[in-house]
Parts: sequence; C-alpha cells; structure tokens
Amino acid sequence: MGKFLLSLVLGILGAGIVHIVILFLLPSLAEKGPWQRLDAAAGHYTFVPVNSQNGPSPTIRPIEPFFEEAACRFDLKDGVVHIHAPGHVPFWSMSVYDRRGENIYSLTDRTATDGDLDLVIATPAQLIEVKKDIPDDFGKSIFVETDTGKGIALVRSFIPDGSWTPGIDRYMKSLVCQSG
Amino acid sequence: MLRNIFLTLLTFVIAVGGGAASVWYALNADDGFDTLRVGAWTAFPALGTPNASPYAKAAAARSGVLALGHAEGIRFIAKQDSAGAALSRNCTYKVAGNTPPARFWTLFPADPRSLMPLKAKDGLPAKLQSWAVLRQADGSFMVEVGPHPAPGNWLAINGSGMMALALTLYDTPAATSSEIGSVELPTITQAGCDG
Repeated sequence: MGKFLLSLVLGILGAGIVHIVILFLLPSLAEKGPWQRLDAAAGHYTFVPVNSQNGPSPTIRPIEPFFEEAACRFDLKDGVVHIHAPGHVPFWSMSVYDRRGENIYSLTDRTATDGDLDLVIATPAQLIEVKKDIPDDFGKSIFVETDTGKGIALVRSFIPDGSWTPGIDRYMKSLVCQSG
Repeated sequence: MLRNIFLTLLTFVIAVGGGAASVWYALNADDGFDTLRVGAWTAFPALGTPNASPYAKAAAARSGVLALGHAEGIRFIAKQDSAGAALSRNCTYKVAGNTPPARFWTLFPADPRSLMPLKAKDGLPAKLQSWAVLRQADGSFMVEVGPHPAPGNWLAINGSGMMALALTLYDTPAATSSEIGSVELPTITQAGCDG
C-alpha cells in the first residue's frame, strides 16, 4: 500500500514537471506557428497576403473581415529592413513580431510622418551606423530598434466598404519589404 | 517484481498523461490567464506580447494568430449576454450603448471556439463598422444581431449553436491605458429566441 501511494505521489509530481516542460517547449516546437506558415508560402523580404491559401492551411489567420493584411519575414543579419508603400489609405497599422510571433512594436498611420508607411527596422548597432549618415531613402522613415534577429512585419489596412477594395488591393500590392 | 514494474509504469502514466492533459485543458480553457472582464466582454491585453503568461504564449503559438499590437487596437470578445446566458445563434440580441473613444470600431459575430467570423447568407450583413453605423441623437448606437431582418443596424446570423461577438476598437487610447478595466462598453440584451 505504501509503495502504491509513493508511486501515486511520484506520478503527480512528475505530472507537474511534464506540465511545465510542455508549456515552455510549446512555443518553440509549434509547427503551425506564423513563421513556419509564412516560410511555406514565400521567402524572406516578400509580402505575403494573410489568409492566402498556399498549401493545406492559410498562412496566417486574418484578424477580421474588414481588413486586408500582408506579412513579410526579415532577418536583421542581412542588414536593416526598409518597409514602405506609396499613397494613402483610410487606415493602416503595422506590427513587428519576433520569430515566435510575439508583438514587439506597433504603430498606426497617425504616428507616421504625413501618414506615409515608411519604416526602418534595425538592431541598436545598425541604427548607430545608419544615423551617422542617413541615406536619402530613410529621410522620412520611422526607425524601429529591436534586438530580434529574425522577425515578421505585418501591415493591416482597413476596408470601410466594398468600393475601397480595388484601391486597397493596389496599395497592399505596392508594399515593399527590402533589406539593406 | 511484477508489482514493482506495475507501480513504475503507473507513475509514468500519471506523470506523462496527467502533465499533457493538464496543459491541454489549461490551453483550451476560456477564462484563461491575463483576461480582463468589462461587463459581458473579455479582452486579452497581454496576448501576443512578451508580457503574456506562458499559457497565453503557448496558446498563441498553437493558433497561428498574430495578435493586434497595443498601438493598433484592442479586441473584446463576448460569449455571453449581459445577463450571463451563453449567446445562441437562434436568438436575437440588442447590442446597445457606447464605446470608448477610438478612430473606428468593428463588430462581427464569430465562432465561439475559433473566433473566425460567421458567414451570413449571401448579401446579408455579417459585419459592421462604426463609420457606417446609424446612431441615436446622443451618439449611442443599437445593433440588432439575430436571424430576422431588423430596421437600423442589423447583423444577420444563420445556423444554430453557440456564437461569440467580437468588438474591436482601433487606434484607441483605451488599449494602452491603465484604466482599461473601467471603460464603458455596449450591453448585450437578449430579445427573444426562435423555437
């Protein structure tokens, strides 16, 4: 009986340990995370429409029916990332996620200069270099400093009603995600 | 001897099975950690941020969702009406009141598990955004959500089973405010059911 109780107690203790191990391993082991899904759809520095069906499951679940979204993966080891688009839409917002899909930075068109989408993502060290002699291209850019090596930039654009769809389609297709 | 093997096996089964089952249960539980309740609505302000609890992080990693950033907005989900009864697709609800200041907001009925938007029959409205909402003289609004057409603001539902409502505020100071728990959100009142 004593042995039975002991194995029961050991089992419950073990369950606690297994619980914690699984919990902390899940984010890095998940095979269906946003990064992996985008990886299956396109390479780095390409904007992929969210919810595009490329394979068995959609790349990323859309946030909601009123939005059009596109995501681009980047790796700061290749140099700074410049994300920009010409023109204006009723509302755009953007988030930068790390490789695990955690939101590390977000902004809307209100925060941007003249409402233009123009953003440079860089590590602190790269930013020092860039700011020594800011290239003309980065003249109006917002600088985002992050230590994340690999990450995802996601742009969302609001479609107030169907008549906006063609214009916003064009805007989303004109998004540029470029390294260096 | 056999007894010892059995007891060792039992320990392992409890440890692995119990550990895995408890994680699975915790990740599927509705009222998870980091939740914020305002009336019938629930928000997850820490979802998808480095500040989220390990449970929220594990759940987010499994779902393939990239959550809204604080500067972008905040989403509230209701799975119950203001009286505490679960939202059903057979019933009609009146969503009435005001929202905290925001550039705009959107409202749509969703599947309670996946939170994917529910599809309405062709041509019927399944989503609403604040620029197109009809308002009362005092600026408040009332949206009728249900299977039968209604004058004013109406969101169509068909099918049966449970549902959820998703209200998302965009570009709102409420998302970053420390007083987010005291914001005013619309009430959800049931106004009759079919069958």
